[in-house]
Amino acid sequence: MARLGRGVAVAALVAGAATPAGVGRVLAHSGGLRGAAPESLSVPVWLFLATGGGVIGASFLLASFVTDRAFVDRLDAWRGPRLPLGRLANAAGRLFGVAALAVALVSGLLAGSVTPLAPERNAATLIVWVGWWGVVVASTYLVGDTWRTVDPFRTVASVVPTLDRDYPASLGAWPAAVGVLGLVFLEVVTPMADDPQLLATVVAGYGVVAVAGWVVFGPAWFGTADPLARLAAAYGRIAPLTRTADGWRLRLPGTGATETAWVDGRDQAAFVVAVVYATTYDGFVGTGLWETVASSVVGWGVPPLGAYLALLAGGFGVFYGGLALSGRLARRTAATFLTPTALVRRFTPPLLAIAAGYHLAHTLGTTLTLLPTTLAVAVSPLSPPAAVPTLVVPGWFGAVGITSVLGGHLLAVWIAHTIAYDTFPDRLQAVRSQYGVTVVMVAYTMVALWIVTTPGGAPPFV
Amino acid sequence: MTDDTDEQRPVGADPVTAAELSVPADEPQYDCAYCDRVFARERHRDLHRGQAHPDRVGESAAAAYRGAVESERESLVRYRYVALGALVVLYFGFLVAFAVVGV
Repeated sequence: MARLGRGVAVAALVAGAATPAGVGRVLAHSGGLRGAAPESLSVPVWLFLATGGGVIGASFLLASFVTDRAFVDRLDAWRGPRLPLGRLANAAGRLFGVAALAVALVSGLLAGSVTPLAPERNAATLIVWVGWWGVVVASTYLVGDTWRTVDPFRTVASVVPTLDRDYPASLGAWPAAVGVLGLVFLEVVTPMADDPQLLATVVAGYGVVAVAGWVVFGPAWFGTADPLARLAAAYGRIAPLTRTADGWRLRLPGTGATETAWVDGRDQAAFVVAVVYATTYDGFVGTGLWETVASSVVGWGVPPLGAYLALLAGGFGVFYGGLALSGRLARRTAATFLTPTALVRRFTPPLLAIAAGYHLAHTLGTTLTLLPTTLAVAVSPLSPPAAVPTLVVPGWFGAVGITSVLGGHLLAVWIAHTIAYDTFPDRLQAVRSQYGVTVVMVAYTMVALWIVTTPGGAPPFV
Repeated sequence: MTDDTDEQRPVGADPVTAAELSVPADEPQYDCAYCDRVFARERHRDLHRGQAHPDRVGESAAAAYRGAVESERESLVRYRYVALGALVVLYFGFLVAFAVVGV
């Protein structure tokens, strides 16, 4: 995506995707934010950013007008009918996941000899970036945690014996947080998006780590440490369907994120921030600002990879630091004796809605465009059709990107409102407790909107 | 997070525990007599007692709860005026900004 140049519109993506070379470019840097903004702005950038921030601020004010505790609780506790999902569907999902992994691995590793090398005609790149990143990951927050069923690594692991050692509590979700950041780092600094062979190698490596984790720690590995399983489970909290002991159950979107007990420490909070930051990082490295900074840093003799790593760690620190500061601020504005850590941990889950909004903004257009391609190539990976089919997404589709970024933020504001009501006995105190986290959300939005509107290119030096 | 379902817990499933509180020694504090929550404002404590322990509060605590509810209501009314003012400023601020520099 980075290679498409400035403020890429989804419309432009589609135009590019119509040619085979364009498809490869569309696949590149599928993790970032670029591609979510309209092609050209008719207002100055500062006003565009201020408007984005203003929408979050205004929605916080509007949410704070809802002071009926019973209403807030009722929305949060509403549950629809159960949807029993048979064992057959589960088995089909598992089989589908393993089959897709097998096709991706084989056509990726044999790219250039048996299967096509071009990313837009190779099943590995299409299955991973369109099938998994575009469809499965989006379904985890739009539908429910489907990845838990489809996850081929979990399926493969489940037939391997496990030592079932106790997972060290001190590790917590840190492996998942580091894993998410590590994967986005790999995606940025290597041609993983374009190179089917490299991609399949990374997937295979990930699988080895996941199965090894299972062998040592058993189910705790996928429940706590496995980055992709954790990503899907976290996004699943935004989704309208939740897994229960006897099938799926309908609820209002976002209400899974108001149960804050699962964020039981800094590790889980760091994991959520890592999910939000990952997309921002991928977008930021394509901006002109980073090109300038990276050029001078590399000019001082710093290796480019070091600069990218420093940005990854530093930017994550800034994002996490902002959240930590908001916890300190909340302790003061809400006049509460809760520790800043206890406040941060409660106000972290809403950020997942923001991350989901970014993800949808970024991937939906590309996914729809390339879905026919993916299906056509996945069923005949050895000799894909010469002319791959694509879906032409209409031009107005660009608006969906902005809408989902803002929609994610609005959902986040409401989730935070519900959590605050749940935590504090005084409703004014609950409103005042959200000042800090609202400022953080405004800041995240403005950064995200700045990235989608700023002239972008390929990340330099890699 | 190691369980196999994310079965819904009821609202209020993440109660504040004593370990999550840090109470500065030099500030006034208001303890709940029925649990270990401590509050920095009397009104917060009175509201908490009425909401979290409605069956256990005595007559004086119940009266304090009613007073706190009334005081909370008045504060919310004041807050709404300020918030509405902020919304109006925000709205017209953007309206003017877009009229001047936009399009």
